[in-house]
Amino acid sequence: MTRNVSDKRTSDWRDLLKTFLLLELWVGLWVTLKNQFRPHITVEYPKESVELSPRFRGVPRLRFHPESGEELCIACHLCETVCPDDCIHIVSEKKPDGKGKRLVSFEINYERCCFCGLCVDPCPTKPLTAIYMSHDYEMADYRRDPFIAPLKVLLGGVEPKDYKE
Amino acid sequence: MDQAALVQHIVIPAIQILVVVLILPLAISYLQLVERKVLGFMQVRLAPRRVGWHGLLQPIADAVKLLIKEDIIPEKAERFLFTLAPIATVIPALAALAVIPFAGAPFQVFGYSVNPWITDINVGLLYLLAISSLGIYGIILGGWASNSKYSLLGALRSSAQMISYEIPLGFAIIGVMMLSGTASMVEIVKAQKEAGMWFVVPQIAGFFCYFIAAVAETNRIPFDLPEAEAELVAGFHTEYSGMKFAFFFLAEYTNMIVVSSIATILFFGGWLRPFPGVASLDWLENGWLVLGPLALGGFLGWLVDQRSGGGLRFMFAGGVLGLLLGCGAAITDVGGLAGMSLPAVSGAFWFFFKVSIFLFMYIWFRGTYPRYRYDQLMALGWKWLIPLSVVNVIGTGLVMLLRE
Repeated sequence: MTRNVSDKRTSDWRDLLKTFLLLELWVGLWVTLKNQFRPHITVEYPKESVELSPRFRGVPRLRFHPESGEELCIACHLCETVCPDDCIHIVSEKKPDGKGKRLVSFEINYERCCFCGLCVDPCPTKPLTAIYMSHDYEMADYRRDPFIAPLKVLLGGVEPKDYKE
Repeated sequence: MDQAALVQHIVIPAIQILVVVLILPLAISYLQLVERKVLGFMQVRLAPRRVGWHGLLQPIADAVKLLIKEDIIPEKAERFLFTLAPIATVIPALAALAVIPFAGAPFQVFGYSVNPWITDINVGLLYLLAISSLGIYGIILGGWASNSKYSLLGALRSSAQMISYEIPLGFAIIGVMMLSGTASMVEIVKAQKEAGMWFVVPQIAGFFCYFIAAVAETNRIPFDLPEAEAELVAGFHTEYSGMKFAFFFLAEYTNMIVVSSIATILFFGGWLRPFPGVASLDWLENGWLVLGPLALGGFLGWLVDQRSGGGLRFMFAGGVLGLLLGCGAAITDVGGLAGMSLPAVSGAFWFFFKVSIFLFMYIWFRGTYPRYRYDQLMALGWKWLIPLSVVNVIGTGLVMLLRE
């Protein structure tokens, strides 16, 4: 909206008319009356929720290989190293056949996690990163221990749909 | 005193009072729901929808909550006055309803003729002004007895505001009293029928003053300084909870209804149909059979889901459905309704229709305007409304003098 703002503050008869007819008040009333008939933009949250963007960054979780169903994580400790909040804790051991390492436990402390997504960036696994930002976001709880998530919880996240890195 | 007189003068008024006092809380609780709905829709959000169909049981839930809530009296409060204050607020509000005529013609119940008003006194308007001034005492007492600075500030603001705005309110009414030559509410409406027009036509300035002053008298937005939640927590009822708060709440909404009723009666012809002077519009007298379902259908359509962006569509559909139902009832003559001339029902329909428009305007203002600053409030009252209403009285007198 463009508006002509004149520098001289002289009031002519139009300003006077505007004041005495309470023009601005009627404009305000018209705006609220019109808005009544607009579709609502809020939703009844626990019953229904808004659609998340495919790139929404929820709680970081771990995932399996999409085809073979095996664990993707190779226990390289890169996410643990890069994490600015130091909330990832990995325990690994040498594989029995002597090649590479495998996970013993993988814990994320959600009390400290800041959802920055830095752990996803260095993850070297193919075809998908082992750690990813899931679409889980409802994490409220009365106790503290559910916030320290073990491997079992981490593998059960909600994966984002139709978004491929 | 024989039995007939006993019934006519004691039993019937008692029943009338009972009916009004019992229906009023229900009506107010649903008015509150409508208010929340309208405000919600104006703010493009969903209003209460959880309790019952589209939130229709929400008022019941609210009432139960208020009834069973703990009633806290602060330790340092003046106990007696603290308890007295809500009662002193609600009683004048209810008493004001005594002189409001809800319809024009008496109706027959068990052979007794019942007037659709509790009483018709020849000083009705003065009575209303006197009674509505009493309501301030409750607010001041409540604010002072709470022993809290927010309550006290709210009460002080309230007293200053009410005293300032009672003057333009009274002056605005004088114009109508001059035109009709009476202060009885029933006679004022009859005078409008004789004049052939609503008094809002000759008294537009008076109506303007009256309505603004009335919004201020009922402490509603944009004049809700006594309870200004952004500045004074909750104003004079900060310390109140449970039933005592419910009483203040009841009084505020009763006052809204009373003030809207007075505006309807004085300026918009009370129970009269629109254009009471135009004979070709006589069919409007029985129009309630068609217009009633139309209004109700449109209202319900507006109330239901608007998420699909179909607010207006729903409203329109509801209205058309109501219109068809009404026309159907009128044509097929269900229960002989169309053939009967029911002046009491017709009057009540027009009366409540107009009152609900005023009540909607209250809510509309609440959804639109920000609160006045205190000095602006005083400036508006003393510098604009009082001079305007005085000029209106003088002008009305001059015109009446010239036309004689």
